[in-house]
Amino acid sequence: MIERSSAPRSVLSNLVLLVMAVFFALPVYMAVVNSFKSQKEIFHSVLSWPTSFSFKNYDYVIHNVDIVQSFFNSLIVTVVGLAGMLILGAMAGYKLSRTPGKLSGSVFFLFLASMMIPFNVIMITLTQLVKHLSLQGSTLGLGLIYIGMGLNMVVFFYHGFVKGIPRELEEAAKIDGAGEIYTFFRIILPLLKPITVTLAIINILWIWNDFLLPLLVLTDVKKYTLILTTNSFFGQYTKDWGSILASLVLTALPVVAFFVAFQRFILQGLADGALKG
Amino acid sequence: MPRALRHYTMFTIFVAPALLFFAVFTLLPMLGGAAYSFTNWNGLARTYSFIGIANYTEALRDPAFMQALLFTLKYVVLMVLLQNAIALGLALLIESRRRAKGAYRTVFFMPNLMSMIIGAFMWTFIFTKLLPELAEKASLPFLDQAWTSDPKISFFAIIIVSLWQGAGYMMIIYVAALQGVPQDMKEAARIDGANGWQMFRSITLPMITQALTICIFLTLNAAFNTFDVVYGLTGGGPGRKTEVVAMHIFQEAFNYNYRFGFANAKAMILFVIVLIFTLIQVKVMKRREIEA
Amino acid sequence: MNKKIPALLTLTLLGGALAACGSDNDTSGADAGGTGAAAKTVNLKVFVSLPRFKTQFESYFEQFKKKELADKNIKVNISLEMPSSDTADQILKSRMASGDSPDVFTLHAVNDIPSFYRAGYLTDLSDQPFVSELLDGVKSGVTYDDKILAVPLESVGWGMLYNKKIFRENNLKLPETVSEMKQLGDTLKAKNIQPFMIALKESWMAESFPTLAAGALNSSANQGFVERMDEGKASYAELNGLTDAMDMLREFGDKKVFELDGDQATAQFAEGNIAMWPAQGPWFAEAILKNDPSFELGVAAMPINDDPASTLLNLSTSTSIAVSPDSKVKEVALDLVNYMLDAKDSSAFYESLMFNPVAKSHTFTPYPWVADVTEYVKAGKAYDDPRIPSGVKNVSETLFQSYYAKDSSKEDVVKALDKAWADANALNKQ
Repeated sequence: MIERSSAPRSVLSNLVLLVMAVFFALPVYMAVVNSFKSQKEIFHSVLSWPTSFSFKNYDYVIHNVDIVQSFFNSLIVTVVGLAGMLILGAMAGYKLSRTPGKLSGSVFFLFLASMMIPFNVIMITLTQLVKHLSLQGSTLGLGLIYIGMGLNMVVFFYHGFVKGIPRELEEAAKIDGAGEIYTFFRIILPLLKPITVTLAIINILWIWNDFLLPLLVLTDVKKYTLILTTNSFFGQYTKDWGSILASLVLTALPVVAFFVAFQRFILQGLADGALKG
Repeated sequence: MPRALRHYTMFTIFVAPALLFFAVFTLLPMLGGAAYSFTNWNGLARTYSFIGIANYTEALRDPAFMQALLFTLKYVVLMVLLQNAIALGLALLIESRRRAKGAYRTVFFMPNLMSMIIGAFMWTFIFTKLLPELAEKASLPFLDQAWTSDPKISFFAIIIVSLWQGAGYMMIIYVAALQGVPQDMKEAARIDGANGWQMFRSITLPMITQALTICIFLTLNAAFNTFDVVYGLTGGGPGRKTEVVAMHIFQEAFNYNYRFGFANAKAMILFVIVLIFTLIQVKVMKRREIEA
Repeated sequence: MNKKIPALLTLTLLGGALAACGSDNDTSGADAGGTGAAAKTVNLKVFVSLPRFKTQFESYFEQFKKKELADKNIKVNISLEMPSSDTADQILKSRMASGDSPDVFTLHAVNDIPSFYRAGYLTDLSDQPFVSELLDGVKSGVTYDDKILAVPLESVGWGMLYNKKIFRENNLKLPETVSEMKQLGDTLKAKNIQPFMIALKESWMAESFPTLAAGALNSSANQGFVERMDEGKASYAELNGLTDAMDMLREFGDKKVFELDGDQATAQFAEGNIAMWPAQGPWFAEAILKNDPSFELGVAAMPINDDPASTLLNLSTSTSIAVSPDSKVKEVALDLVNYMLDAKDSSAFYESLMFNPVAKSHTFTPYPWVADVTEYVKAGKAYDDPRIPSGVKNVSETLFQSYYAKDSSKEDVVKALDKAWADANALNKQ
């Protein structure tokens, strides 16, 4: 009975998945295909296969933009921002989750509430601060700013995750005479791995593709991140779409590689308990 | 005494570094923004004066702002419902498969890996070229619409592209949660003769309430602050018919007459609205989690 | 197995960070080894909103550095910032608001000079050497409060673009009034040629209609309109022709006008079967020629009502370059803006940017459509773009989209424009 009724259903579910997959993949596919066309060809027919597969756009992008330098700039910003965010966020999230009381509660509420602030509001005051702290124009400084801006979400997630870790572990360590800091780094931190990987991918995506903040902080084209160099193909009145698509495809490649390499790990990690608590 | 002291020292060691970075780069600029909302600063002049709550009373009487708020609210409601339904649906479908799980997950997550600049550009072509062509060839006349230019219809275009961009992200969280549902529980229920819906209601759903809380929270926040999709598809137009609040605030601050103080007052109003929504959501979901 | 990937990644990342540090050291190392022993080093922050010309600006600034070292024994380090124009405005304002203005920066001459000047962000350049080089036609755009405040880079004459080939092959005459324009439209339609390109997806494309109307009338039937608006003594209600062109065009447009952005419109116009593109200018020339290098582009004045005397060409100065009064290295900053119009080097520079000549030393042959503009100027059928407050222009953008879509009536439009101007006046008095 069950077998028979599930057969047409699985055909249906396969069909739904397939249709959805086409819906999700089509724009991505179009972006890649059109990055091999000239501007004229793109606007003539965006759906057609390129008449001649030409690497002209890629060639142009690589030779007109210092893409290697930009890649390393993006890398520094992302690594500094991510590392700081995850370490400080894990510590704070853990402690706030384990400490009852008003003080702890209000600090956590501050983190939570600030997640809803639109970026445009803090933009001008942030620029003033950046200037006072002399962080202007530095990729390292930009990384530090990301730490401060991304922490609220990171703390929020660690806070929730830690609730699912039994307290017995710390109690046992305490009886063994281990200090709190030692216990955190040796026992708790490894347990946080799954959520850490998830937070890493979320924040890499954010920092790697973020536009306005780097533009505000960086003051020299030599320090521009990958996404900012793409900017140079946006004219005042018209946009050079062939080059824009080519450079955005190149920009996305490292992130795609990261995701594909870690995909199993990310899910495995999440399933290990991120959401069980 | 020393125990209490040690307690606070430890608390400081763990929390202070994060709090410091957060205070400097988020809290302080936020307070600054709040302070400017009580001034008539135009964002450029070297002087300005405090004008009390005048910006707030004016904002609440501004029909364009109200229209943007209403439009955003409509968008938020639809996004919270659709995005989570679709993401959960996809997660369930994928997890019920034996093969090609990874490939499907990657395809659905793909839009997140690309910048929205590309997304909006490609979708513009789909709406203005592909769909009308399809309408003609497959004789499906309802596809030939002014997708990005008639505000009644472009609202749905905005929803479609937002879903395209955001559903995969939520799907990943749901997939992870579903993998946490023990197989033996499902087996037991199946043997007891439970049908698919019953199994979902009584076994799967309670196990993923936390994922649901997080996903709704994230969707709520993202939807209230949405900007890129609308900017890329319709630019808020024609006129200001599809302007969302985040865009409205941006225009007020950097276009029109650069009324930065006024724009900040509007942003603060938005902030309070989102905060209220989120608090209600967290409260309600918490209760459900405990019940479950 | 899994452990390998993170380890590898960490290594790559570390390598990247080190490599970047290394390159930083390299540049500072090169700094130390200057030529002259007594050369003074100056760091100059430059902000240019034209990223598509990155290579041209970089090499021109290299020339400047050499000249400065040779002439004054000053070694200049330039940190060049190039955001695209849609974000440049916002970035520059945020920088200025935080007291961190670049030493030298670009701005829009007509739209930005008044507000920047009033806020005290512009240096008076009237007594600088480059002033004597400036052509008269571009002077007014960079002059405000009787002071010259910037060096013009881009200048343009605009009103309407047209396809010269279509006009020639069909023996057509450029329209002098809106009625003639409508007749022409009907004629062309009968010949199966699309008469007008109407593209309004990007809201600034709607704004150019009222800007042209107010500008032309300010110099013909409603003399001194802008000045009187500034004093709060006039209303848009007095303008006869504010919406005539748009009303007429609406009969020719379809529902797709709000789907066409600049890029798509350019690509379609370049295909050669559209006769006119109203309320636009040669800023699209580069993109049109890229699609079809043999396209014969013409620039004409656009009729705004049925009075031929109001059919005038708008002469405007857009991107210009200015100096911050707060600059700590003003001497070098001033040298740089003077060098922008250098009698020896700047002609080739302007030519490489495809800009119009703005200085006496600019001897290159300009583009054919610039000749059209010159004809209008000679005939006295052109006017200097008046300073309509940018707040009013910004409001016009969405307002005239709504007007075209019939969501706003003419009364609404007049009311909203008057209010925006009054708001701008109020802000200026602060």
